Amino acid sequence: MLLSALSGAGASGCGRDRESEPPANQLRVEIETSPATLDPRYATDVISSRIGELIYDSLVKADSRGGFVGDLAQSIERPSSTLWLFHLAPGYRFSDGTPLTARDVKYTYDSVMSAASASLKRGSLANLVRVDAFDDLTVGFTTRGPFAAALELATLGIVPAGTPARGPRGISPLGSGPFRVALFKRDEAVVLKRNPWRPYQPLAPRAIVFKVVPDAIVRVLELIKGLSDFAENNVPAQMLGYLQERHALRVERHGGVGYQYLIFNFRDPRLRDLRVRRAIAMALDRQAIIKSLLARTARPATGMLAPENWAYEPDVATYPYDPTAAARLLDEAGFRADKADDSGARFTLVYKTTGDPERRSLAQVFQAMLAKVGIRLDVRTNEWATFYSDIQHGDFDVASLAWVGINDPHHYYTVFDSKMVPPYGSNRGYYSNPKMDELLERAEVEMNSDARRRLYREIQKLAASDLPYVSLWWQDNVTVMNRRVRGFIPYPNGSWRSFASIRLESADELGR
Amino acid sequence: MKRRWRNPSLVAGATIVCALAAAAAFGPLAAPKDPLAINLDLVFAPIGWAHPLGCDELGRDVLARLLWGARISLSISAAVVAVSVVVGSIIGGTAALLGGALDELTMRLIDVLLAFPGILFALALAAILGPGLLDLAIALCAIGWTGYARLVRGEILSLRERDYVVAARALGSRTGRLLWRHLLPALAGPLIVRTTFGVAAIIVAEAALSFLGLGARLPTPTWGNMLDEGRAFLLTAPNLTAAPVVAIGLSVLGFNLLGDGLNRALDWRG
Amino acid sequence: MGSYVARRILALVPVALGVATLTFAVIHLTPGDPVIAMLGENAAPTDIEGLRHALGLAQPLLRQYLTFLTRLARGDLGRSIVSGAPVAKLVLERLPATLELAAAALCVAILIAFSLGFLASLRPGSGLDLGAMGLAVLGISVPHLCLGPLLMIAFSLRLGWLPLSGRGGLQHLVLPAVTLGVGMAAIVARILRQSLLEAQAQDYMRTALSKGLSRHVALVRHAARNAATPVITVLGLETGALLTGSIVIEQIFSWPGLGRLMLQAIGSRDYPLVEGCVLAFSFSYVLVNLVTDLLYAAMDPRVRLG
Repeated sequence: MLLSALSGAGASGCGRDRESEPPANQLRVEIETSPATLDPRYATDVISSRIGELIYDSLVKADSRGGFVGDLAQSIERPSSTLWLFHLAPGYRFSDGTPLTARDVKYTYDSVMSAASASLKRGSLANLVRVDAFDDLTVGFTTRGPFAAALELATLGIVPAGTPARGPRGISPLGSGPFRVALFKRDEAVVLKRNPWRPYQPLAPRAIVFKVVPDAIVRVLELIKGLSDFAENNVPAQMLGYLQERHALRVERHGGVGYQYLIFNFRDPRLRDLRVRRAIAMALDRQAIIKSLLARTARPATGMLAPENWAYEPDVATYPYDPTAAARLLDEAGFRADKADDSGARFTLVYKTTGDPERRSLAQVFQAMLAKVGIRLDVRTNEWATFYSDIQHGDFDVASLAWVGINDPHHYYTVFDSKMVPPYGSNRGYYSNPKMDELLERAEVEMNSDARRRLYREIQKLAASDLPYVSLWWQDNVTVMNRRVRGFIPYPNGSWRSFASIRLESADELGR
Repeated sequence: MKRRWRNPSLVAGATIVCALAAAAAFGPLAAPKDPLAINLDLVFAPIGWAHPLGCDELGRDVLARLLWGARISLSISAAVVAVSVVVGSIIGGTAALLGGALDELTMRLIDVLLAFPGILFALALAAILGPGLLDLAIALCAIGWTGYARLVRGEILSLRERDYVVAARALGSRTGRLLWRHLLPALAGPLIVRTTFGVAAIIVAEAALSFLGLGARLPTPTWGNMLDEGRAFLLTAPNLTAAPVVAIGLSVLGFNLLGDGLNRALDWRG
Repeated sequence: MGSYVARRILALVPVALGVATLTFAVIHLTPGDPVIAMLGENAAPTDIEGLRHALGLAQPLLRQYLTFLTRLARGDLGRSIVSGAPVAKLVLERLPATLELAAAALCVAILIAFSLGFLASLRPGSGLDLGAMGLAVLGISVPHLCLGPLLMIAFSLRLGWLPLSGRGGLQHLVLPAVTLGVGMAAIVARILRQSLLEAQAQDYMRTALSKGLSRHVALVRHAARNAATPVITVLGLETGALLTGSIVIEQIFSWPGLGRLMLQAIGSRDYPLVEGCVLAFSFSYVLVNLVTDLLYAAMDPRVRLG
C-alpha cells in the first residue's frame, strides 16, 4: 500500500502500467537484499554503505583512484606523525537543521570505538587511539604510531551526538548528506527524500525509492516493465544482451575495482608448492570465462589493486592460459600424470563456494578446466553463513572470493601479513612469507607517498610471483538504467553518490 | 487377460513409465553428447539438429543432461516416496488401530516434525554430512513419512466406525481380511494421488537442497538443478526450464495413470 | 468434544517445547557464528569474547538452553542478536503478511480444486475428466520457482493486468496466491475426484438415485459427506505445505512475510529470532492439524476422536 502511494497514482498498482508515466521526481532503484540497518556505525554490507553515502557525510571520501578527498573536511593538516587535524567546512546541517560540529564527529567515533559498541567497524579503527574535538570545526585523530593509511579511518559516516547505539532510532539516524531517510521498511523498501538543508539541484530527483527484490529474474522483469529505473551489479550477466535490446533501457559497463580471486590454503602441503599454484593459475582460461559466462563485464586482473588505483603496478608476473605448461609443472612438482588414478586425477582439491546459480556455474567451469590438467575439484556448496564459517576456520583447500571496495593499498597488510590470520585479520589462507611481511610492515608506517608507492610496487610484484591468490578479474560496475535517467556518473568503487545530481527526463523529452 | 487389466489408464501409464525407465537406464548410454562437457562457445545454443533441445548457460547439451538426470531424479524420488509411504503407513496405521496414548503421542510427534522448518534441518544435515544423495534421501524421508501417516490414520479412524466394518467385525471377520477388503481400497485412491504427485515435489526439493549443500554433487545433472540453473533465463532460453518441467510432468502423469490403472485392475471390492 | 479440544490445546505445550528444543539443538550445532558475522574479521579477540558474553552465548549450551526455556515460559522471546529489537515484535509485524498469503492461496486452491474435482467426477473418462487431469498434472509439475516468473511474464509483463511483485492491494495478492495455491489445488482436485467416484459406487447412492434424485443432488447430499475424510486430510496436510511453500513465494514476489524473516534469521544465525519465527510457524501448523481433526468429527459424527 505504502509503496503504491509513494510511487504516485497509478504507477504500480493498476493494469494501465505500460501506458502510465513513471513518477517525475522519483528515482526507483532495485536492490537485491535489504539493509539491516542504515546506521553507518553498524552497517555491514555493500548496499547499506551505498545508500548510507547519500544520507551521511564523512570527514573524507574515497576518490576514484583509491585516494581520499575532503568531504566534511575542507582541509587536513598533519602537525606530527601521529596527529591529523581535520578542519570542517562550516554550514553543514543534519536534516533536522542542527548544525554539524566536531562534537558530532567525536561522538560518532567514540561510540564505535567503545568496548560495548558491538560494531563491525571497531576492528578497522584499531589504529586510532582517540578522536578530539578541539573546537566546533576542528577534529583531531591520534593514531597509534605513524600510520600511512590514516585517511581511510576518516571515512565513517557521521551521526548527531547523542544518537543511541541501537533500537528504533538507531536504525536510521539523522545525517547531513543530500538525502534523509523518509521510510525504512526492512525487506520492503528504503525511501529517501531530500535533506532540506543541502543545496538542491532543481532537476534532480526529490525522492529515491530503494526497492528490495530478492529474485534475479524478477529484477529483470521490473526493469523491462519500467517499474524500476536503476539496477547495478544485480542482473545475471548472461541476461545483459537481452536487456540491451530493449530500447527503453540503457546498459553500461564501467571498469570497477571489485577483485575476484582464488584463495589457497597454505596449511595444505600440496598448495605450498609454488609450481602447483602456478599450474592452477595457468589452467584457467579467464578470457573465455569473461567472454561467455560474464558477458564481458570484467577485466582480467593482475593483482588486488585495479588500474585506477594510484598505487597500481602493471609490471607484474602474469599467467596466460596454458594447460600444457600447467601439466608440465604438475609433473615437475611430483604429481605425475602416469601416477594418476583411474579417472585421470593427479590429486583432489576441495573447493568451497555458495549455492547461488552464478557461483555454481563458475565452480563447474573451474572444475572442467582443472580436470583437463588432471586436478579434480571436489565442489562443496553451502549457504553463506556455513561457507563463511568454513573459510574462517580454514576448512577448505581452494575457494573463490572477492574483495569489494578496496581504496588504500593498506589492505594488503590485512590479507597477506602472517600475523593477520583469523580472527585477527583476513589472512584466511594462512599465507606466510617473511619478505612479504617485511615489505608490508614498512609500508604501514611509511608516510612519504612516493616511498610508499615504491614499496607497494614491490609488494604487488611479490604477490604476483608468489601467488597467495590467483587473480581472476576486476568486476565491472554494470548498470541497467531506464533511458529517462541522465547524468549518472559511475565510480570505480561503485558509489551511488551521483544520485544527488542526476536528472529524470519526462516522457515528452524522451520523445515517446 | 481379464478386461479389467486392459483399462486405458493402465496401458497408458505403463507405457510412459516403461519409457521413463528405459530413458533412465539406457539414456545415458544412448545420448550422443556428454552432459558434463562444458563448451563456452556453445552457450545458449538454440534448438537445432546438433542439439535437439539446445544448450544451457555453460554450453552443455540439454537433451543429454535430461537423460542423465532421469536416472537420479527418478530413482531418488521413487525411493524416497516408497520409503515414506511404507514407514508412514505402518506408523499411522498402528497409531490409529491401537489408539489411546500411543495415538496421541504419535500425532504430537508428527506435529513437531511437520512444524519444524525443513530448511533448518537440511542446513544442519548439509553441514554435518556434506553433499551426497544418500543424505538427501535421508533428509527427505525423515520429514516425508509424516504426511502419509496422517493420511492412513485418518482413513482408518473414519472407516473403523462404518456400518459395514462394524457389521463385518461382529460377524467374526478377521482384521487382516478387513484391512484388505475395506481399508486398502479406500486408501488406494488418495495414496496413489499423493505418492505420484509427490514425485514432483521430491525432484524440486532436490534442487532447493543442493543450494544448501545437500544433494547431488556438482556437476551431476538432475532435473531439479536444471530447473534451478535455467530459471534466470526464462525470457531468453525457455527451453532450459521447459525440458525438465515436461520431463517431470510426464513422470507424474505416467505414475499417476499407472497407479489408477492398477487400482482399477485389482478391483478390491470384487 | 469439548474435552478433546481442551486436551489438544493443552498438547500445544509439549509440541511447542519439542519444536523449540529441536530448533535450538539444530541451529546451535550448525556451523556459523553470529558474533563473527557482526564484528567482522578484523575484530580483536577480546571484542569477540566481549560480545559473546554480552549476548549470553559464552555459556555452556545446556545453560543457554535452560535460560531460553525459562524465558519462554514467561512468554519472553528475547531480542534479536542483529538488530536488538524484541523478537515478538519482529515476528508479529510479519506474521499477518504470511497469513494473508496463505489464506488467499487456500481460497484459490479450494476454488480450483472443488470445481475441477466435481466436474471431473461427473463424467469419468470423458474429455472433461481428461482435461482436468491434464491441468492437475501441469499444476503439480511446474514448481513455484518457475511458475511464479511464468505468471509474472504472462499476466504482468505481457498483458499488464496485474502488478509484478510486492505487497499492496488485492491485485498484488493474486499472482502470489495463485502460484502458491495451484500445486495444492492439483492434489486436492484429484483426491476429491477419486473419493467422489468411490462414493458414487456405494449402495446408498444407488438408493438415492432410485428414489428419483438427480445425480448432482445425490452427489452433493450423500456422496460428498462420505468422500470427505481423505479430502479433509489432504487439505490439512497441504495447508501445512502452503506455509512451507510461502517461504519461496515470499522470496520470488518480494512479499514481506515471516518466511523471509526466518530465512534471514537463519542466514545470520540470529538464534532468538530463528526460534521466534519457528514457533510462530509451528503454532500455525498445529492449529491447522487441530482444525483438520475437528473437521473429521464434524463431517462424520461416527468418527471417534480417541
